[in-house]
Amino acid sequence: MIAEETLVAELKHKESQARAFEVLVNTYKERLYWHIRRIVLNHDDSDDVLQNTFIKVYRNIDGFKGDSKLYSWIYRIATNEALTFLKQKSRKAGISDEELKTAMVENLQSDVYFEGDEIQLKLQKALATLPDKQKLVFTMKYFQEMKYDEISEVLETSVGALKTSYHLAVKKIETYLKAD
Amino acid sequence: MGKDKKNKFKTPEGYFDNLHDRLMDRIQQEDSQEEKSVIPKSDGFAVPETYFENFTPKVISQPEPQEVKVVQLKSYKKIYYSIAGVAAVLLLFFGLNWNKADTLTFDDLANSELEAYFDATDFNLSSYEIAEVVSLEQIELSDILDQNLGEEQILEYLDENVEDIEDLNLDYNDYD
Repeated sequence: MIAEETLVAELKHKESQARAFEVLVNTYKERLYWHIRRIVLNHDDSDDVLQNTFIKVYRNIDGFKGDSKLYSWIYRIATNEALTFLKQKSRKAGISDEELKTAMVENLQSDVYFEGDEIQLKLQKALATLPDKQKLVFTMKYFQEMKYDEISEVLETSVGALKTSYHLAVKKIETYLKAD
Repeated sequence: MGKDKKNKFKTPEGYFDNLHDRLMDRIQQEDSQEEKSVIPKSDGFAVPETYFENFTPKVISQPEPQEVKVVQLKSYKKIYYSIAGVAAVLLLFFGLNWNKADTLTFDDLANSELEAYFDATDFNLSSYEIAEVVSLEQIELSDILDQNLGEEQILEYLDENVEDIEDLNLDYNDYD
């Protein structure tokens, strides 16, 4: 795999930009897609947000100073794009963020790209009850199997606070799933 | 009892003989505990076939926006000068009157307005993040509460609202 510094340098040069961008997209598209999908739930919306994320990366790569790792910078953009997308969606529909989350989970039942069973649907309902941060930490740790250090860089939160959030999220989800 | 010839430490009889068995027992025990979790291992999302193979951000296929031809506004110059003149007079007139009014300060904001602002604005801050910014030494309970709380009331609150008292005394190593 190409070194991160080399990739960033190539992305900043006009001549090598197109090829480097292709490498970047191929390296991160799947991981970012699943990260976004777990926030916006629907495939078409995830595709839109993923496109917007890569376009933002492409247009703003000159502003990337290398203070953090490239992947955490891109993940941060993806997270912000996904959360902003949901906020805009609820505003357009004239409903609250909570109402939108409930509607999103209900739509999963008729979503052709959701193959979850009853338990997995219930898991989504449980996740919809969590605050954004706790939900993010849980999905990044449990499903994306990211390390606390990596999550800490993306969410700009201390590892200690992340561990607490994860623990609380697991407890709330387990309680929800055990309830009838 | 087993003995090491080089030092005086001893191990229980047969300690190393059944170490492997004990380790396997423990691994199995841990595995079965993990399996007991009610949270499913996968979340059931799928993608259209060949979605990732065909994914290309539109930014690659889209051409760079072309420069738009600039239309000179020379012929309208005189009109713009006269409009600018009128605007300057109006600005001067209102500007002078404006300055007569008292300058608003933070103290002019009513508490209710501040409270309404904090209620209505989503800061995206969790209580942990707020705790990181505001140090505990700087705040007193009386800063946020009208009445002083007695120890009994605090215990009563915790008893009613905290599901597991261990939440208050987390040992992070347990959750790695």
